[in-house]
Amino acid sequence: MAAVATCDSVAGSTGSAVATASKRNVTSFQKRGPRASGTNDSGPRLVSIAGTRPSVRNGQLLVSTGLPALDQLLGGGLAVGTVLLIEEDKYNIYSPLLFKYFLAEGIVNGHTLLVASAKEDPANILQELPAPLLDDKCKKEFDEDVYNHKTPESNIKMKIAWRYQLLPKMEIGPVSSSRFGHYYDASKRMPQELIEASNWHGFFLPEKISSTLKVEPCSLTPGYTKLLQFIQNIIYEEGFDGSNPQKKQRNILRIGIQNLGSPLWGDDICCAENGGNSHSLTKFLYVLRGLLRTSLSACIITMPTHLIQNKAIIARVTNLSDIVVGLESFIGSERETNPLYKDYHGLIHIRQIPRLNNLICDESDVKDLAFKLKRKLFTIEAEVQKGVSTATFLLDGPRKKLFPCLFQLLGVACIPWLMASSSVFKVSNIGESLCYQLSGFFSAYLFHF
Amino acid sequence: MTPSEGARAGTGRELEMLDSLLALGGLVLLRDSVEWEGRSLLKALVKKSALCGEQVHILGCEVSEEEFREGFDSDINNRLVYHDFFRDPLNWSKTEEAFPGGPLGALRAMCKRTDPAPVTIALDSLSWLLLRLPCTTLCQALHAVSHQDSCPGDSSPVGKVSVLGLLHEELHGPGPVGVLSSLAQTEVTLGGTMGHASAHILCRRPRQRPTDQTQWFSILPDFSLDLQQGPSVESQPYSDPHIPLVDPTTHLTFNLHLSKKEREARDSLTLPFQFSSEKQQALLRPRPDQATSHIFYEPDAYDDLDQEDPDDDLDI
Repeated sequence: MAAVATCDSVAGSTGSAVATASKRNVTSFQKRGPRASGTNDSGPRLVSIAGTRPSVRNGQLLVSTGLPALDQLLGGGLAVGTVLLIEEDKYNIYSPLLFKYFLAEGIVNGHTLLVASAKEDPANILQELPAPLLDDKCKKEFDEDVYNHKTPESNIKMKIAWRYQLLPKMEIGPVSSSRFGHYYDASKRMPQELIEASNWHGFFLPEKISSTLKVEPCSLTPGYTKLLQFIQNIIYEEGFDGSNPQKKQRNILRIGIQNLGSPLWGDDICCAENGGNSHSLTKFLYVLRGLLRTSLSACIITMPTHLIQNKAIIARVTNLSDIVVGLESFIGSERETNPLYKDYHGLIHIRQIPRLNNLICDESDVKDLAFKLKRKLFTIEAEVQKGVSTATFLLDGPRKKLFPCLFQLLGVACIPWLMASSSVFKVSNIGESLCYQLSGFFSAYLFHF
Repeated sequence: MTPSEGARAGTGRELEMLDSLLALGGLVLLRDSVEWEGRSLLKALVKKSALCGEQVHILGCEVSEEEFREGFDSDINNRLVYHDFFRDPLNWSKTEEAFPGGPLGALRAMCKRTDPAPVTIALDSLSWLLLRLPCTTLCQALHAVSHQDSCPGDSSPVGKVSVLGLLHEELHGPGPVGVLSSLAQTEVTLGGTMGHASAHILCRRPRQRPTDQTQWFSILPDFSLDLQQGPSVESQPYSDPHIPLVDPTTHLTFNLHLSKKEREARDSLTLPFQFSSEKQQALLRPRPDQATSHIFYEPDAYDDLDQEDPDDDLDI
């Protein structure tokens, strides 16, 4: 797949590649990798930057988001030049964690950081990053942690559908030889030496802006203007857009913007439905995306979308971002007492995945995702529906949980000895494959509710 | 310090609520409505912090100074620093007492102080400010004032700042109220039933789960708090499920349960694709008395029984 893609891209640069290939009697199927001979190669050369890897689907350069489970759901990682938008949960407890994981991953890989916030001083944010787990001895702690939470049912081997046991589970423990995607201990802080050794830039809005600035209508809020100028300066001065050719070692710039759209940035989309500056945020995202696409950078933005009054703005913001992940925590809602959700702290909704140089995007099969913040680890799992007792919730449950529920109904109703033990990844896969065969019959039955 | 010690030595429970509201610092949002007014709770909090020896600043915008000071003892009144914006909100009389920037200027001036003593600022009321100032400016000013003490590496340690804001939630739409409650460290919503007032207190500690509790109280004429039990118990049993757990297998037309014998039989069944050791032995060593497989052929009317080998004429 990758080789074919290479071939296409080479053939696409019309004429010249073919001409050079014919001159040198070299086929257009080029092997990727470092060339032993020092000759100029006409094939595409991959930029080898620490902490990045090319995507297996389309060769896009990816960086890790700091959570390997989230990387897996996003199709391998966050593509360089794109924006990851996180819709904050209501009390803003879990979205700062994802933000910090992203920044911590940048420090561990040696990337340059740019942290922008209107609420907290960026230096304080960096002090609170989680500590990375780089040793193998930490793997033992993880295994114990995982083992304590494993239910006894999942240890039963499947007798009939034994091939499904070989399906890969979602990675929740550290892989010792991973250079892409590290694990972090949320209960410890990142050591001071690592933070000081890293190259970071901070943008704290109250320091950068004087409060008596007049705002013209239909323009960007001054806070956004300053932030865009700051980002552009950093990109230009440090050569992330290729403008500084003396730089030998290329690096990635990781930008983190916290609480974008809140009134602390001077934006009133959270306060009023039809404010004066309702296009400020969308313009900002548009210009930001332009800056990112022309430089080696990746950006994470957290936004309090639950406070935005005009729903059309949320739709525009979603369209202007590349990856959108929504967090919904159960605190204070009626789902907290729902026994179906008792193991989890909230739901993760992957609202959008980009199609970069592609016609399709790399969606994961599992749509019901929930997260849990354990003492040290932030885990993302597919929701598990255990056993027959959940059939009561089948009747009142929401429609989107149809497929795993459908499998449970099949198991309950028709074929008791086919009902495999429910474990994280297996249920949804079996359910979906059976669904496609029997959906005609059962859809009529189930859609009565 | 005698009055404050006397205040603390009072019955612990009665003062716990006010203590907890003032302890966290930051913005304390008091949301009241027409039925359950919050100014008396605001004055109770002001009195408590004055008795604890803190500096208390009051930005009075909604009621006159005499009305606000009514009910306080003279020593408390002497401790309050009152900024009056009620009598002359637009500063037409051009006196020098008033802050030049109006209430916003007063708030911003308080950001710049360097006093290590703890300070309580009471805004009476935040609704008044919200109706006259742009929401974003007010939020930025409130955030700057209430977060002065959160810088760890500061050279001049500034004392804890509590900003008490009285918000009449019926005057505003969901936008500004939502924004202010997301900025607030503590949010008190006043309500009640049948003449008993209750306060629903939501504490948001940073990076921790928010905790909430409901407290029934009443305020005595001298603005001290009297905690109460609450009216007759109308318990909301969250422990009961909304749906009574019904066994779904009761009305099915087929049997889902396996009896013990059936379960044993099922477990001992060797499945056709399972390669057990017995099968392996049977295949490796065919038993002599075991009949070899037979083919029983019943020729049909249409079958061709030609015994000749059709490949005979091929030269292989």
